Amino acid sequence: MVAKILKDSLKRGAVQLVRRPMYVLMIVIMPLLCCFALMSMLSRGSIQRVPVGVVDLDRSDVSLRLEHNLSAFQQVEIREHFASFAEARDAVQRGRILGFFYIPKDFEEQLMAGRQPTLSYYINYAYYAPGSMQFKGFKTISVMAGGALVQTALRTVGLRNEQIQPHLLPYANHMHMPGNPWLNYNYYLNSSFVPCFLSLFILMVTAFAIGTELKSGLSRQWLETAGGNIVIAVWTKLLPQTCLFTVVGWAIQWLMYVVYDFPLHCLPWVMILTMPLLVLANQSFAIMALCVAPNFRLGTTVCTLFGMLSFSFCGFSLPSESMYPWVAPLGYLMPIKYYFLISTDQALNNLPLYYSRFYYVALIAFTLLPLPLIGRLKREAADPVYVP
Amino acid sequence: MLRVLKNEFRLVMQDQGVLIFFLLLPFVYPLLYSLIYNTEVARDVPIVVVDDSRSHASRDITRRLNATPEVTVVGIEPTIADARQRMAAKECYAIVHIDRDFATNAGSGKQSHMSAYCDMSVMLRYKNVLMALTNVTQAVAGERQAAAVAPIIYNTGGIVSNDHVPVGNTSTGIASAILLFILPLVLQQSMILGIGMLNGGAIERRRHCAGLDPLSVEAGVIPTVLGRSLCYLIIYALPTIFVLHVTPHIFDFPQNANVFGVLALSLPFLLSVSLMGQIIKGFINERESTFLVFVFSSVLFVFLCGASWPRFMMSTFWRAVGDCVPATWMSNAYVLMQSDGATLFQVSRHIAIMWVQCIIFFVLACAVEYFIARPRYRRYRHLAVTDPGSLLRHELIKNGLL
Repeated sequence: MVAKILKDSLKRGAVQLVRRPMYVLMIVIMPLLCCFALMSMLSRGSIQRVPVGVVDLDRSDVSLRLEHNLSAFQQVEIREHFASFAEARDAVQRGRILGFFYIPKDFEEQLMAGRQPTLSYYINYAYYAPGSMQFKGFKTISVMAGGALVQTALRTVGLRNEQIQPHLLPYANHMHMPGNPWLNYNYYLNSSFVPCFLSLFILMVTAFAIGTELKSGLSRQWLETAGGNIVIAVWTKLLPQTCLFTVVGWAIQWLMYVVYDFPLHCLPWVMILTMPLLVLANQSFAIMALCVAPNFRLGTTVCTLFGMLSFSFCGFSLPSESMYPWVAPLGYLMPIKYYFLISTDQALNNLPLYYSRFYYVALIAFTLLPLPLIGRLKREAADPVYVP
Repeated sequence: MLRVLKNEFRLVMQDQGVLIFFLLLPFVYPLLYSLIYNTEVARDVPIVVVDDSRSHASRDITRRLNATPEVTVVGIEPTIADARQRMAAKECYAIVHIDRDFATNAGSGKQSHMSAYCDMSVMLRYKNVLMALTNVTQAVAGERQAAAVAPIIYNTGGIVSNDHVPVGNTSTGIASAILLFILPLVLQQSMILGIGMLNGGAIERRRHCAGLDPLSVEAGVIPTVLGRSLCYLIIYALPTIFVLHVTPHIFDFPQNANVFGVLALSLPFLLSVSLMGQIIKGFINERESTFLVFVFSSVLFVFLCGASWPRFMMSTFWRAVGDCVPATWMSNAYVLMQSDGATLFQVSRHIAIMWVQCIIFFVLACAVEYFIARPRYRRYRHLAVTDPGSLLRHELIKNGLL
């Protein structure tokens, strides 16, 4: 009896999945395509050759040498030379360049006279990521300009090069970036954004699948097939999708870790096994949303809203400790937050599993979360009301 | 055309779901996003110091690091292993290790070394640690350098000073940078979702009413397309002012453009978006599917317009894809106007391209109406006569019944 119910409901779920091109599109094609698009867009990894300009009012030997050195930097590319500040500003406003280096009049003269001339660099931070790259290039060149003079001055009093070096750079910083020493933006951003994208699809498709039953009024028949048990009804309907999403998730992980060489310092099976947990947790989140708001439109809206906002409030770009104290905890409502923490702990930093234990508990807990509220969904399914 | 406009207006006003997209969404989303990012910058990233030198110089460095706005020293650990344990427990996000011979090297005229190990899960934390370390060491180095050469070049100050001037987004905050890109996108997405939903409703009505829509008016292809676009334009006047003009005021984002400039810029943008919506709707035939098949594209569009990854670093292919989207041009022009105070004349290239998009999308929208939408209605009418149950049956089959 139970076996027959299970078989019938599973068949119903699978048949729906196959009959609607929408499901195949939204479970398989679009997630793969979109995740590939994100990785492909960022595939160059680090920002280089930011288009910048130079305003050289000095036109001296020193200023030309500065420009020459600047053009050797990989961070910036000198696209234009301007005769005045106003011209450079105009180019920034038109979006042709993202910043410019300004060498004042009589720079060389004042430098030689020891009057501490100023080199300025104007960076358009409206474009955020290229801004910090320009800063790096411009700052280094300005500091080096002073260093060159110190070197010459010290050499004239007879110091050897190895004695001069500590004066130029008395303290050497060695930055170590464990996991991502290349500062690869693709590895950093897409380690969180790509799984988050997949989560968005899972949330939306799940809400859509259950919502369609309610909308079309077929939910009564759906419940009957499952022998009146809403838990069986929900999970037999979703199980075929779970399987499909998990396989797609693995394909995305394959794209990330094998094709694009994202850092994977833990054993691969750790991430492989975390994927079905992420899928199940997201599906449960969507079920819960529909339990709380048992209405097609409301349910899908809630899922979409949270799915879209989780890109922001889960702390992938602005760290959560820097957000408002009432925004940061919202991130912990989403399954993707725990997957993100697991992936940084495991794939990036290769910490012992011990440190990720709570994240796994949380992911599994999501799966049980809708149970107390599932009665609401059952009532709605037994007597659906469609609100357009 | 006016009849279409009036009828469409009535349809929108009667449709709660569409009203949510057209009016509520543009008011809520910008506020939510802005609130999340409104702290703008990361401050006081927790770090620990492993001080093997235990000298005056190393304590000076620690003190100076703690004084920077970027990081805060939450502890001094005896060994790297202890520090790593704290990092694993997420009590800190970077370890600064000061070498044993840090002070002795400095005293004997050699280079002193220190190392930083930074958690790379969130780039902003790394940026802060790097910034703090660079600023502290350069300040200390500058003092030593000046002291060394002072007797030679008769100068007690620095040699070359440098002046870092952030323009556009003067606070260098993340919200002021990203949000201005997202705001026009909110308008584009909400409008297209609303149009898709309206159309999905119309198709469902036709499916249930034997291919006829009692709520629509008959008109030629061109008046229908134009009338609808005009209707959406009029409805969007208010949301546009709110999203593009009021939101930056509320959250203190850069606001150098005046409201008329913004509106002049929005005109070709909204028109092309309304036409784009009428192209996309040709491929959607249910109310709620709109949601499913279109919402996720927002994430792609954010990337395509260059908000988080600059467009000049993308391959030609992705740049070309981005070029086709009205929001790409709108976002960039809007950012230049709001942040950098560009005039309409300075973004005339963006505006011209959006007008070209209007023309292309208009032709395509007419084609969709003529070749896809109307034949579909005719097919429904035909089916309704020859086989009355077939439209309903089609729906049941899709839902796994029959």
